[in-house]
Amino acid sequence: MKKLLTIILSVLLAITMTACKTEQKEEEEKFVIGICQIEAHAALDAATQGFKDALIAEFGEDKLVFIDGNAAGDPATCATICNGFVADGVDMILANSTPALQAAASATTTIPILGTSVTEYGVALNIEDFNGLTGFNVSGTSDLAPLDEQAQMIIDIMPEVKTVGILYSSSEANSIYQVKVVKEYLESKGVTVKLFSFADSNDIYLVTSQAVEECDVLYVPTDNKAASCAEIIDSVCRPAGIPVFCGEENTCLKCGVASLAINYYDLGYTTGKMAAKILKGEVKIEEMPIQYFENPVKKYNKEICDALNMTMPEDFIPIGE
Amino acid sequence: MITFSNLIYRLPGGVAQGLIWGIMALGIYITFRVLNVSDLTVDGSFTTGGAVTIMCILAGVNPILALLISFIVGILTGIATGLIHTKLKIPAILAGILVQFGLYSINLHIMNMSANVSANPDRFNLLISMRNVPNAILIGIIISIVHIIVLYWYFGTEQGSAIRATGNNSNMALAQGINIGNMKVIGFGIGNGIVALAGGLMGQYQGFADINMGRGAIVIGLAAIIIGEVVINFIFKKGCSFYTRLTSVIIGGIIYYAAMVIILWLRIDSNDLKLFTAIIVTIFLAIPNLKVKKGGK
Repeated sequence: MKKLLTIILSVLLAITMTACKTEQKEEEEKFVIGICQIEAHAALDAATQGFKDALIAEFGEDKLVFIDGNAAGDPATCATICNGFVADGVDMILANSTPALQAAASATTTIPILGTSVTEYGVALNIEDFNGLTGFNVSGTSDLAPLDEQAQMIIDIMPEVKTVGILYSSSEANSIYQVKVVKEYLESKGVTVKLFSFADSNDIYLVTSQAVEECDVLYVPTDNKAASCAEIIDSVCRPAGIPVFCGEENTCLKCGVASLAINYYDLGYTTGKMAAKILKGEVKIEEMPIQYFENPVKKYNKEICDALNMTMPEDFIPIGE
Repeated sequence: MITFSNLIYRLPGGVAQGLIWGIMALGIYITFRVLNVSDLTVDGSFTTGGAVTIMCILAGVNPILALLISFIVGILTGIATGLIHTKLKIPAILAGILVQFGLYSINLHIMNMSANVSANPDRFNLLISMRNVPNAILIGIIISIVHIIVLYWYFGTEQGSAIRATGNNSNMALAQGINIGNMKVIGFGIGNGIVALAGGLMGQYQGFADINMGRGAIVIGLAAIIIGEVVINFIFKKGCSFYTRLTSVIIGGIIYYAAMVIILWLRIDSNDLKLFTAIIVTIFLAIPNLKVKKGGK
């Protein structure tokens, strides 16, 4: 016992001594920004990159320190990461995705938090009568492409469509909201809507196979899990001759025919510009409304459209151009 | 940027989370060590606890009462596993997996078919929150102590002893006239009740319940138990009392999270977080075996 106590005490002593010694002699003018992202995937990574690039364009690389935190899909790890940021006293937190935003908002009421790739801030932060302004230390950008325009796009391209299947992940808050809006819009236009949700990547193949049997067209919303498994969706839908419309460009690139594209890099870039304004002290984050992506671009996937013998209207541009 | 003072500031948050996972590990301890079976229900029942608690709080229920409700719902999930195991004669691991699978859908229903529900700490009076880490640690310690006292008392009662006997040697317990089937069901129930309560605490602490929040809970729980055992065997070489063992589980949870905080503090790419936690747990698992080998020579 005595031995152990001595060890513990000496370790404690060593820690306190080092803690005293290491003065905060960091370069004062640098902005330290903590980035918390729920998992690695193309859209989220693009948003983070856009955010960084916007800030680097504004301040230069040597004035910025980015601390990257990736929770590998665990919401609880977001909490650990955000706690760390608060402890470090970062100047700003970028919360990329809904659970990251929630963890950051729970962790601090003082450090400015910018969200990105979050679809509905009112739902995510449990704010009543949300009007686009949180009123506290949270603002950011929403990845919501105008859902009614997306639904209308399906009808415009395929006027004879009778049944639309919506394929989405039941484990993502963002998707469920989009599904609700798109379903209501399509039903108001007299189209039958069937919902197909999958729990994880193991179910996607089976659920998609079921969906192509029952529907003329599939719609996949902005959904992280569907985006990660878009190849599986393609492997079922293309042979079956069922076109897939997507809520987001990265998914459309792999499995869709057309999409109203939100570019996550640009979304992140917009977020970065907001961050620059806050860091410069031009605007208070409380007074900064949530920004949406303006003028989404109509895009189509040439390879899949050719395979399905579909021709797109003139105003659609091929992905990658 | 990597300074010791940074680490010191970061640790309290890790301790608070570690306490919550430690409480959850107490639930796993009951099935894993006392009953001597592996119960994989926990990945589901942890989320169930978080979902029930947050939905109750949104409905205006007192946060402590919400935790008690999630405790009771958690017991039901455990009883389900127990009954599938004992009445339908399905192996315990499989029974746990089946219930865990089913709970995914049930959890979605509890959360009103959304994957993520949040309770804003500004609008609701939460028992613990990331906003106030020292308070969260205090409450976590109080709840841990209450659990340890109640479990210590319970496993001294006639029924509690019967559960322990069932876990130690079910044939002997059966010969003593103990209904081992019932004892297993009760054990599964209590274990998952505690797990769900910890899920409720985690939901309040982070301000939301998420359908994925229980992912890997069993791994963290087992790690906490084993880390605690390694520590306690190092300090008390001649064995120790039951309540010290229970305390060690909580300490194991804290050490596990402290390790995670250190990994994050070292700025190791957090994509590698799982690999490094696996390595740390492997090291702890290996320590007792390596020691035995040395002693045997």
